[in-house]
Amino acid sequence: MLTYALRRILGMIPTLLLISAVCFLVINLQPGSFLDQYLEDPRVTKETVTAITRQLGLDQPAWVQYLTWVKGIVLHGDFGFSFANGRPVSSLIWERLGWTVFLALLTLIVSWVIAIPLGIYTAINRYGPAATVANFLGYVSLATPDFLVALLLIALVLNTGGSNVGGLFSPDFIGAPWSGAKVLDLLNHLWIPMIAIGLEGVAGLMRQMRASTLDVINQDYIRTARSKGLSERRVLWRHAVRNAVNPLISLAGLSLPSLISGTIIASIVLNLPTIGPFLYDSLLNKDQYVAMTLLLFSALLLLVGNLLADLALAWADPRVRFE
Amino acid sequence: MLKRTTLALVSLTLLGGALAAPKKVTGYGPLGVVNGKAGGTYTLALGDSPQSLFYYGVIDNNLGLLSQQMFDGLVEFNFANYKIEPALAESWTISPDGKVYTFKLRQGVKWSDGETFNADDVIFTYKNLISNPEARAGDAGNFKLGGQPVEFSKVDDYTVRFTLPRPAPAFLLQQRYFIMPQHKLAKLSIDGGAKPADINGAWPTNVAPTEVVGTGPFKLQSYTAGQKVTLVRNPNYWKVDAAGTKLPYLNQLDFLIIRDPQAQVAQFLAGNIDQLNISGAQFPDLKQKEVAGGAFKVNRFTALFGSPPFVAYNFDAKDPALAKVFSDVRFRRAMQSAVNRERIIDTVYNGLASLPGHGVAPANKAFYTNTTRQLGSFDLAAAGAALDALGLNRKNAAGTRLLPGGKPLEFDLTYGTDSAVYPPIATILQSDFGKIGVKVNLKGILSSKLLSTGQSGDWEMILHAFGDQPDPELRRPIWQPGGALYYWHRAPQPTKDGESANTAKMQPWEKEIYTIFDTAAITPSASARKALYTRWQLLFAQNLPVTPIAKPENIGVISNKFGNYVYNLGVIPGYNPVPLIFQK
Repeated sequence: MLTYALRRILGMIPTLLLISAVCFLVINLQPGSFLDQYLEDPRVTKETVTAITRQLGLDQPAWVQYLTWVKGIVLHGDFGFSFANGRPVSSLIWERLGWTVFLALLTLIVSWVIAIPLGIYTAINRYGPAATVANFLGYVSLATPDFLVALLLIALVLNTGGSNVGGLFSPDFIGAPWSGAKVLDLLNHLWIPMIAIGLEGVAGLMRQMRASTLDVINQDYIRTARSKGLSERRVLWRHAVRNAVNPLISLAGLSLPSLISGTIIASIVLNLPTIGPFLYDSLLNKDQYVAMTLLLFSALLLLVGNLLADLALAWADPRVRFE
Repeated sequence: MLKRTTLALVSLTLLGGALAAPKKVTGYGPLGVVNGKAGGTYTLALGDSPQSLFYYGVIDNNLGLLSQQMFDGLVEFNFANYKIEPALAESWTISPDGKVYTFKLRQGVKWSDGETFNADDVIFTYKNLISNPEARAGDAGNFKLGGQPVEFSKVDDYTVRFTLPRPAPAFLLQQRYFIMPQHKLAKLSIDGGAKPADINGAWPTNVAPTEVVGTGPFKLQSYTAGQKVTLVRNPNYWKVDAAGTKLPYLNQLDFLIIRDPQAQVAQFLAGNIDQLNISGAQFPDLKQKEVAGGAFKVNRFTALFGSPPFVAYNFDAKDPALAKVFSDVRFRRAMQSAVNRERIIDTVYNGLASLPGHGVAPANKAFYTNTTRQLGSFDLAAAGAALDALGLNRKNAAGTRLLPGGKPLEFDLTYGTDSAVYPPIATILQSDFGKIGVKVNLKGILSSKLLSTGQSGDWEMILHAFGDQPDPELRRPIWQPGGALYYWHRAPQPTKDGESANTAKMQPWEKEIYTIFDTAAITPSASARKALYTRWQLLFAQNLPVTPIAKPENIGVISNKFGNYVYNLGVIPGYNPVPLIFQK
């Protein structure tokens, strides 16, 4: 298992190199340049534009820019600097990573905790009224984009006279030291992004869980288990669910990159201090090293997520073998 | 007796001069400004995280908004009439030949960390930051006149002198540049032995707040990445109100970082933001809520600054037949009759806009010439007849007019899709132009790419906006033919930077405008300059290098909890009414 993991990890290096090259190419194929936003300001003359182009190294051929960037990462762990912020990319990402990971993990956990029991329930009580209602709601929330849910929730809060219409804290608590009141304020704001971002995940996972549970409960070994006289509860949890949950483990691995790019619009609408809007901006402005680092990071998360999912699968399902 | 009084007055003035001389802010009664009381927190919105905290390091509106509260310039605007007033410079003299500007600095001004402000700071700022060509947000271009640099010299601790190679009447208006502390920035400057470009790295967003030192009404307290910037009252601020109370009244100024305009409105309605500038599209909803008893006021103001949208036709379009038609003033005049300005003002701006000027805002009392008549009126029949008269009278089966070569008169209109106003304006133009047999295809791009697309020449008709400024000289690269931003006619632009424009490729009226701008730039007499710019506006109105569409109003909403509200222009150095705001 260790050699397997090691081999997979080594295999990531060429993949990431290829991905970074493709990202760089795509970003450079975009029309315009980082300096576009400077042009309309009366303070900026042609000479300034030339000077900035030179400062940023944008006068170098594209391949030199790319190789310099890759060299920086390999030799110094330096991911370049942000044109816009004039600061190293890594420190900027670091600043925003905390809340991003917190929100992503929380929504992930909440959606799993809700979706898996619901999926099982709707699979077992396929034609019951409660399952039908749950299914219907599932379809609706699958079809509704997260930002729309966010807007609707904001409108609802505004109309009921609330003040928690975006962000994670009330203005007074931003930057304040942690306290009981601050935690309460956080919870008061947190439920909106939880619902808006989590809802779509719940619906998807629920459908997945329902489908694989349905698959499993018609299998021979379930019938065998039943005919052995095992209790229905034991059949369900011990045999059916344990097998049905396998595809979800893979799904969980694939959902890691959504940390970065999954909730851009909802983050903008809800004013969440996450990485998504940062990526969006850097792509629009052609702040190339920020965009490339984030895309590379996203690809790395996908690869790592896949690896973790495979390892978890192997651990959960004895049928999976490494060779 | 008389002599004694004079003497007493003179000695009083001298006494006042020797002590610290705070600036008394008075005369805004007509704007509703009263004496306020100290205290309170005022919360504003910031459209995105600041990219840096060093004003001359990045061009960034969000940083501009913060800098405005933390720094001052030598001179500033009067809030009511936009006349230039003393700020950090208490007085100034201009030599009769218009070349030597001597600024007497206000004594007793202290930086927010307690250090004394003096002439060294001013010389440092101008030399190392503003006129440093490597500073990304400097303004080096304005300190080279006719290829010669402006010279800065310190006369004594409180007097600085700028010597210009030639007269520049707009020079004083420009000296609203924020002055920065030498004692904090010297080590990153040319004077301190650093490379000229190093200064761009000053004060990154993770700098210790105590490093960011200014003379402005507020100073930096903290920045929470992506969420909030907090400024607190600068106890050393040099302005007092009419009663002699120290300004600013407020204790704290919070900027919440909120990217989405709708989210900003939601936060305002929820009471988390106290003041917000909004667009005409957001007006009806908020006004309705105000009338229904909301605890805020929606205020409208005539705009002096700001961007009136225009349409331009590419004189150098790739298709020669189109280029020929577009360069013909009769075509542009004919098409102006098909621009339904009133409908655009009514439906796109909800009536909160007025007819535009030609390069100068109608509210600009110093320079505006009334050219309303030349805007003509919306008349499709007249527009059609004028196109017929141009020889564009043959039509194909689809009803589109044919160009002399037989190709249909059909072109792209490039506009910004991520804007509340460009898409509806583009659709109105497309529909009206279609009715007179001119087929327009809409081509949407990001608004931020409009200028670079314009300058690339890869377009046919474009919908764009450039800002109005108090003095036409400040927008010379836009309106002077051959200028870097005069992109609808790129042929006269110099082939190399620094060379003069190619006047041979200008149309006669363009040549005249070119000369007007060159002359007005060095004419010291105000009335002579006004006459020159009047002629320019008339030439503009008749020849339509671009067709201006509308001048939007400024709209601001303010919570009833606060007094002394004067519209916040946004990032206009030298215009900052926030110190007057107080919590009731």
